[in-house]
Amino acid sequence: MLKLVYSNLFQRPTRTGVSILAVSLGVVLVLVSVGLSYGQLSDAADRMRRIGGDFMLQPPNSTFFFALDSGTLPVRLTEVIAKIEGVQAVTPVLAKFIGDKFHLVYGIDKDSFGRVNDSLRFTEGRHFESPYEAIIDTNYARSKQLKVGDRLDLLNHTFTVVGIYQEGTASRVMIPLATLQELNGTPDKVTTFFIRGGDEALLDTVYERLKERFRDYKITRTADLQEIMAANTPVFKQFLAAVVFLSVAISFLIVLLAMYTTITERTREIGVLKSLGASKSFIVQLILRESLLICSAGVVLGFVLAAIAIKLILTAFPSMPVNITATWRIAAAAIALFGGVLGALYPALKAAQLDPVKALGYE
Amino acid sequence: MDIVQRRDPVVVEDLYMTYRVGKVDVPAVRGVSLSIRAGEFVAIMGPSGCGKSTLLHLMGGLLRPTSGRILIDGVDIASVSDAERTEIRRRKMGFVFQRFNLLPTLTARDNIELARKIQGNGHLRNHQTTEEMLTLLGIADKMHHKPAELSGGEQQRVAIARSVVSRPAILLADEPTGNLDSDNSQMVLRMLQELNLKYGQTIVMITHDAEAASTASRIIEMRDGKILNRVQNLFYAMEQKRV
Repeated sequence: MLKLVYSNLFQRPTRTGVSILAVSLGVVLVLVSVGLSYGQLSDAADRMRRIGGDFMLQPPNSTFFFALDSGTLPVRLTEVIAKIEGVQAVTPVLAKFIGDKFHLVYGIDKDSFGRVNDSLRFTEGRHFESPYEAIIDTNYARSKQLKVGDRLDLLNHTFTVVGIYQEGTASRVMIPLATLQELNGTPDKVTTFFIRGGDEALLDTVYERLKERFRDYKITRTADLQEIMAANTPVFKQFLAAVVFLSVAISFLIVLLAMYTTITERTREIGVLKSLGASKSFIVQLILRESLLICSAGVVLGFVLAAIAIKLILTAFPSMPVNITATWRIAAAAIALFGGVLGALYPALKAAQLDPVKALGYE
Repeated sequence: MDIVQRRDPVVVEDLYMTYRVGKVDVPAVRGVSLSIRAGEFVAIMGPSGCGKSTLLHLMGGLLRPTSGRILIDGVDIASVSDAERTEIRRRKMGFVFQRFNLLPTLTARDNIELARKIQGNGHLRNHQTTEEMLTLLGIADKMHHKPAELSGGEQQRVAIARSVVSRPAILLADEPTGNLDSDNSQMVLRMLQELNLKYGQTIVMITHDAEAASTASRIIEMRDGKILNRVQNLFYAMEQKRV
């Protein structure tokens, strides 16, 4: 049967090629969309986690997208948090989304940030010491081709890059907290507090104390960040569902169309197979195997095209984080195969039901 | 009337087939009874529209009759399910068509192999291998050719090879020479005769050509859905004795 399946696919190479390409586009759609969105999420979560705090304290009903929530907490809460038993260090952070550059800038208090964070490693230069000095991570420096001493325009002001730190912690760009508060028009306000709990065995107790003291605030363990972000990010689930639906729909419609045309063209051949004694299940299997082959080729091509697409994206936007997990690779393949088999099912059943005499007389 | 033996591979009893065309009933077969004995080569002859093709399709289990019985090796295929009819077709029937009906994407060899696989009994000892069958029919050198690369006569020989490769109980041939020139027609008819005489293959052939029909051991003439005449070919009986 496999020979027949292969030969049928090669009978109309253009149609087969277009079908494979269309299925592969569905796979690319899933892999690239999921890769980019999960990349953003996991990158943001990783960098926040590596700031060093065990907990984050945010205003009630806030999101993890700091871009949507820029400075509503009074900075004086720093002292209140610090007094809670078990809290080792706390640092306020004001985050500001720079729309035209599409990244976040953190305003930090250098001293308290240093007590919470232990992963800031300068590869070049030093920490900022005056209001209009900025430090940037290696990724940002690479993508913007900046080095120590260069000028950096942010929020209509010119900063001097005084230090470059190893990427993977906090935001790509950090400036003094007071400067960002002033430029943002939110003096004495911050976006979040990063809190270090110290002894790991006491983290649960400290968490309970924080919750008790700040009942209406949002307190998150940074270890659970990625999971919580994926679950609570606005429209993230809906976005993924839409991408999956689109991908299934593409595979389904393309394979349906290709297989429907195929069985119409090959009506007489199906009649011949029936006259030879081919059962309904043989005919169904024949059509399904053809569609599975098309979809499998589409999956392989989709993986290759997705890799190329991601390489192109990373060439254009080197700081763009991408994270395609093995689970999502398997899911993308399964989605394409499922859509394809679903699309082939109706033509396959229709072919199996054909009247052999009418099929043999088909012109 | 035929003398019906219980072990005859094909027994047709009082068979009727009426097609519904729009709101009109069109009778195609009207009360046909016949019996085909094992090892017979029967030609069913008649003009276009006399019901001979319908009768062949009914005997092959491709159609279900309006009424009557069709016994294939004692099983009434008029009363069994579609799946059972398919199974009987698979195990007991071989078909040769006027338009050859080879699968265009497969080579001659693969066409035959596919039939063998569908029939699922290629492992039995009395079955010829595909190569033997192609050699027997004089087209061994064409086994890797696709139908489009073969002449009409060659295609029909491949179709015959495909139909008998699993040694079916009955070979049903629907106007097998209808699309061939006279030389190729002669060749195909000679091959059918050879299959019948040398291998005892039971053959039922539909034709409107009296010359083609004369190559069979028995001729059944049909008109208006009924059997008009049955003639035993004495020359064929002599040939059978000689072989």
